[in-house]
Amino acid sequence: MGITFYKRLFLLPGLLLLIAVIIFPLLFSIRVSMSSWNVSRSGLDFVGGSNWARMFSDADFWSSMLRLLNFAVLTTFVQYVLGFMLALYIWQGVKGGRFFRLVWLVPLMTTPSIMAIVWRSIFREDIGAANGILKMLGLSTIGWSTEVVPAIFTIYVAEIWQWTPFMFLFLLAGLLILPKEPLLAAEIDGASPSRIFWKITFPLMAPISIGAILIRLIESSKIFDSIFVLTSAGPGSATETPTYFLWKRSLAEFQIAYGATLALTYLIVMIILLTIIAKVLTYLARPRGW
Amino acid sequence: MNLYLENAGVSQGKEVILEGITYDFEPGRIYVLMGRTSAGKTSLMRTIAGLIELTQGKMLFDGKDFDALPTWQRNTSMVYQQFINYPNLTVLENVTFPLRRSGMSRALAEETAHKLIDKVGLGDFLDRLPGKLSGGQQQRVAIARALIRNANVLLLDEPLMNLDYKLREQLREEFRDLLTTARNSVTIYATTEPSEALLIGDELIIMHEGKVIQHGKPSAVFEHPNSVTVAKIVNDPPMSILPAKISDGMLCIGDLLRLRIPMHLVGIPDGVYQAGFRASELTISTDGEVTEQGVVDLVEVAGSETLIYVNTPTGEIVIQKEGIHGYHVGEKLGVSIPSARTFLFNPSGELVVAPGN
Amino acid sequence: MSKTLKYVFLSFWTLFVFVPLSWALTTSFKTPDAVNQGATFIPWVQFEPTVAGWQDILGISGYANLIPNMVNSAIVTFFASLISVSLGGFAAYGLSRFRYGWKYYGNSDIIFFFIAQRILPPVVLAIPFFLLLKGLNLLDTHLGLILVLTSGLMPIVVWLMVDFFNQIPREIDEMAMLEGCNPFQAFRRTILPLSKPGIAISAIFCVIFGWNDLFFSLVLTFTNVKTLPAAVVALNGTVTPFWTLSASAIFSILPLIGFVFIVERYLAKGGFSGAVR
Repeated sequence: MGITFYKRLFLLPGLLLLIAVIIFPLLFSIRVSMSSWNVSRSGLDFVGGSNWARMFSDADFWSSMLRLLNFAVLTTFVQYVLGFMLALYIWQGVKGGRFFRLVWLVPLMTTPSIMAIVWRSIFREDIGAANGILKMLGLSTIGWSTEVVPAIFTIYVAEIWQWTPFMFLFLLAGLLILPKEPLLAAEIDGASPSRIFWKITFPLMAPISIGAILIRLIESSKIFDSIFVLTSAGPGSATETPTYFLWKRSLAEFQIAYGATLALTYLIVMIILLTIIAKVLTYLARPRGW
Repeated sequence: MNLYLENAGVSQGKEVILEGITYDFEPGRIYVLMGRTSAGKTSLMRTIAGLIELTQGKMLFDGKDFDALPTWQRNTSMVYQQFINYPNLTVLENVTFPLRRSGMSRALAEETAHKLIDKVGLGDFLDRLPGKLSGGQQQRVAIARALIRNANVLLLDEPLMNLDYKLREQLREEFRDLLTTARNSVTIYATTEPSEALLIGDELIIMHEGKVIQHGKPSAVFEHPNSVTVAKIVNDPPMSILPAKISDGMLCIGDLLRLRIPMHLVGIPDGVYQAGFRASELTISTDGEVTEQGVVDLVEVAGSETLIYVNTPTGEIVIQKEGIHGYHVGEKLGVSIPSARTFLFNPSGELVVAPGN
Repeated sequence: MSKTLKYVFLSFWTLFVFVPLSWALTTSFKTPDAVNQGATFIPWVQFEPTVAGWQDILGISGYANLIPNMVNSAIVTFFASLISVSLGGFAAYGLSRFRYGWKYYGNSDIIFFFIAQRILPPVVLAIPFFLLLKGLNLLDTHLGLILVLTSGLMPIVVWLMVDFFNQIPREIDEMAMLEGCNPFQAFRRTILPLSKPGIAISAIFCVIFGWNDLFFSLVLTFTNVKTLPAAVVALNGTVTPFWTLSASAIFSILPLIGFVFIVERYLAKGGFSGAVR
C-alpha cells in the first residue's frame, strides 16, 4: 500500500460524498434553466436561452441583488466594528470577562428563524415591546412592518444581534494569538493606546479580519429565515433579497425553470463579487513599510 | 546491507533538486554531507527516507529496490534540525514509541529505552513532556528515539544547528560517541560546519546544487579540495581567493605583490590562476615582511577568536586570529601572505596544487 | 476610550443581548389577556404568570408537541455533524499534508470547491434535492436530511481544519511514518491527539448550523422527521398565539445553549486560536 492509496483514503470519501450530493442538483439546475418547466408537466422541454434573456432584464431581480449588496455590506461592517470592540475589551482584560464571553455567545447559538418569531413579537405594532416602550416614554409608535425604513431596521437588528458574536469570537481568537513583542515594544516607546491599535494591532489582525469579513459576507448573502418570518419581504418588496425572490419565483409560483436560471446567475455573480472583494481587501491589507 | 544509489535524481517540474547521485553507503560508517544551505543535503536525506520520490535513477538497499518501498517500510530514522518530538508523549513514551510500533512488549521496550535514556543523560526526565525540556535535552530525546531501533539507515539533518555555541560543542562530542555505537546502520549526518565533519565523519561527501562534487576521507578533502567551491564549503571561516599569476619563477598575487615561488608550486606552467589561503594561516604583518596592504572592513568576534575582514585592492581577505582583538573598521592593515600554504586553482576553479604537509 | 465609556458600551451590549430572550421568556408565561392588552413586562406586577403556553407545546394540552421534533433535530444534527467532522477532517488532513492535482487543479482549487458549497443558498438546491431524495426514496427520512445537511457542513469543517492542520509541524507525522506508521496510523496516533481544539470548534459550528437549518427541513420533510425550527415556523404560520410561540422559542434554544456551554471549555483554552489562521 503506497502513499497514493493513503492520499486517496483521506480525501476521497469526503470529496466524493460532496460531489455526489451536489452534482445532480447543479447539473439539473443548468438543464432546467433552459426549459420552461413548472412542475405541472412531467417532461422537460428545451427553450434555450429565453429564461436567461428574461433574467437580464428582470428589474425586480436586480433590485433585490442591489438591496442585498447594501444589506450584506452594511450589516457585515457594523458587526465587524462592534465585534472588534467587544473582542478588544475582553482581550485587554475586563472585570467579569468570562461571564461576558459566555453571555455574548448566546445569540450565535439561537436559531435565526425562531428568533425572527421573537423579534416579530417585539416589533408588533399593537402588542410588541418596541412600541410598548415608546408609548411608555410618551413617544409616538412606529409602523415596524408597514413602513420601509423601520422594516429594514428590524431586519438589521435581528441580523446584527444574531451574528456579531461570530465576529467577536473570531476576532478574539485572532487577538489571542498575536505576538506580544511588537505591542510591548510600542508601549515601552511611549506610544498612545490608540496609536498602538491603529498602527500595530489593527494591521496585524488584517488576515483574520479579511477572513471573518468574507465569511460573514458569504453567509449573510444567503439570508432567508428572518426575512421569511419577520417581514415576508415587505412592505411591498422593501426587504426582498435574492434568496427570497428566488424562493418566491421557484417554489411559491412554481416557475421552477426561471428560478433555476436566477439561482445560477446568483451563484456566478456571488463567486465573481466575492473573488473581487477578497482580492481588493488583500491588496489593501498588504504590508507597507512606514 | 548497503544503501546503493545509482544516478539518483529528483526533479520537481522544471526544478532540479538532485542530479546524478551515485554512491554506495556501507553500514557501520558515518557519512557526513556538507554543502551550502540549498545544496540538496536535506533533499537527499528526505529521498532516502522516502518522503520524496526519485524521478530518475535507482535506489537499492541490500540489493532490493528501496525506492518502491513507502516510508514506513524503510526502517530509517531521522533527527531534524528543529527539535521534533511527539509533544503529547513523555520522554519515556517518546523513546518507546518506535519499539512499540514494531510490536515489542511494553516491559521490554521500557527496559531498552531506560538504558538509552540514561546514556544520553536524561534519566531524571522520564516523565517530562518535551515542551518542558531545553533545546539540547529535546535533541537528546530525538536522537535516543532515532537510535533505539537500530534502523537500517540513520539520518541526521544538521541536528546541532539550532543550539547555542557552547551546547553545540558539548553535544558534538556526545553525538560522536553515540553514533559510533550504531554499528549496523548506515549513518548519514548533514552539517555546514567543517569542525563537526572532521570530528564525526568517516567519509565526507560534498554537495553543491544537487550534485556530489567531491567525496573522501575528511582530512583528505580538507587538504585537497578539488575546486574553489569545495574549498569554500569546507573552510569556515571562508578561504580567501585572490587572483594570481605565475611567471618567471615568481608568484604574483594581484598586481602588486610578488613572492618567490614556493616549493610546491615549482614546475607549474606560467599562467593566470587563483590562489586560496586559509583564514587561520593568514597573519597580520609585522614590519619587514612582504605584505598585501588593505583596509579593515569588518571585525567579528566568534568564540575565542577574532575574524578580521580586510579589503585590499586585490580582493577581500579574511584573517582568523586567536584571542580577542579590537581592530577598528577603517584601520589600515597589512596582511602577510603565506606563500608556502597557497592552494592553487585554475581560473575555472579546479585545483591545480594543494600545499603538502 | 475612557474606562466608564467602555463599561457603558459593554453593559449596553449585554443588555441588548438579553432583550429578546427575556421578552420571549416572560411572554411565554403570559395569559392571552396579558399579551393582547399591549406590551407587558414584569410578571406578578403587570400580569399573572401561567404555564399554559408551555403546556401547549409539550403535548400536555393537546395543542402541539415539540418534543418529537426536538428529538428529530438532535438525531439529524448529531449524525450530520459526526459524518461532516470525520470525513471533513480526513479530507482536511489530506489537503494539508499531500499534494493533489489533476491537470491544472491543485489543492487550493479543491478547497475552493468545498468552500463554494457555502455560497449556494439552500433555496437553490431545494427542488433538485427534493427530486434526488424522492428518487432515492429518502424523502421525510432521517438519512435523507442527514445527507443533505452533511453537504453543507463538510465545507465548514474542511475550511477550519485545513488551516489548523497546517499549523501542526508536518515533521511530527513524518516522524511517525519513519517509525513504522502508515499515514493513517500516523494521523491517528500523533496528529489527532493534538487536534482536539480544532475538532471541538468544527463540531460546535456543525451543530449550530445543522440544528438551525430551516429550509431543507421545510422542503424535504413532512410528518415523520420534521425538525424543531421547521415545526416552530409552521406553528407561526397558523394562527398561533404569541405566548405559545415564545414558549416554543425558548424551548428550541435551550438544548443548543446547553451543548455549547459544555463544550465551551475548549474555546476558553484559546483552542480556537489554533483553528484560526
